[in-house]
Amino acid sequence: MNDSCRRAIEDPEANAAHLQQCAPCRALFEELNTPISDARVQVRELPLAPWEGATYRSWPLVIAGAAAMLIAALALCAAVGLSPLRAISMGIGSTAIARSSLLTAADAVRNASMIWQIAFGALFLLVNTALVFLLRRAPRGIDA
Amino acid sequence: MLRPPRILLPLAIAAASVITATLAAPPATSSVVGDARRVLLTPASFTDAAAMMQRTAVVASLLFVWMIAAVALTLISGREIRYSSIEVRTSPLHCLALGLVAVTSFVLTAIVFSWLTSVIGIPLLVALAVFAMLTKIYGTIAVFHAVGTIVAGLRTREQLAQRRWLRGDLAMVIIGLLILGAIRLVPVIGPIVWGLASIFGVGTALATKFGRREPWFLAWRPSEV
Repeated sequence: MNDSCRRAIEDPEANAAHLQQCAPCRALFEELNTPISDARVQVRELPLAPWEGATYRSWPLVIAGAAAMLIAALALCAAVGLSPLRAISMGIGSTAIARSSLLTAADAVRNASMIWQIAFGALFLLVNTALVFLLRRAPRGIDA
Repeated sequence: MLRPPRILLPLAIAAASVITATLAAPPATSSVVGDARRVLLTPASFTDAAAMMQRTAVVASLLFVWMIAAVALTLISGREIRYSSIEVRTSPLHCLALGLVAVTSFVLTAIVFSWLTSVIGIPLLVALAVFAMLTKIYGTIAVFHAVGTIVAGLRTREQLAQRRWLRGDLAMVIIGLLILGAIRLVPVIGPIVWGLASIFGVGTALATKFGRREPWFLAWRPSEV
């Protein structure tokens, strides 16, 4: 009798796998008329975990998707007589509108009356306090 | 732990929604109905049609850039993207609320930074802009993954064994990008859906600390002797 046999006798349910493999232990349990329950987990019956098969890299799909998108972009750019690089720079350049809006808003707040400035300060504190409280919540994700 | 008053959170979310809607709304014109009809239905003139086509070309070119960024980021940190995607699917309302409040906080903080002297204000503004852009890009790619998983994700082990191409993080991101990209090309609805995806993305990026699932703040506990 070795250590694993001793552990199986002490806790048969947790060591059901050993009882399946070890003939002397199985004979002992059969002699005692104690059923051996197989507590092994059946992997195929478990729900699919998010990480299963997640690392697979589907290159044909990536190449097909990128090619379709590139062809569509090139065709549309050619139709309007625009170079693709110019189109991308126009798209990224639209952030200039946001920048100018921000500066306008900053000027408006600076030139506003004292009451509006206090209201802005209160809103700033309120929103950032709410942000801190929302950030304190632990993510659920995997445990959900 | 210090608990906020119950009214604080709904108030902040309402304020954030109003500010975000004001920023995202198209500029008001004298004939709103006429403009809506022009955008939704056929363009009235050749110039309108050309402008619409040019906008579509710009959006399609930007979608290709998004695809390169999405593939690169998924290859570099696929696990983090997956964790953020799980979060947006399990806690969508929390991600939406956090995204709305975070976007509003970015805007208000940028206004405050622009008040400061240029020596301090400009570096802070640049840092805030970089952080906001990274949050938006990372979060939007996590939303691509979430949309891809909702539409074409694996449900059973049999599907895992059968599918050859349509599995894995990279495939889910590409599927989500293609779906949201196609919606993005639709006038009026496209920008709204894309903006919502960005807000969800900012929310999930911050909720999971960019997929690392670490707390943003350390909790103080008295030492037990």
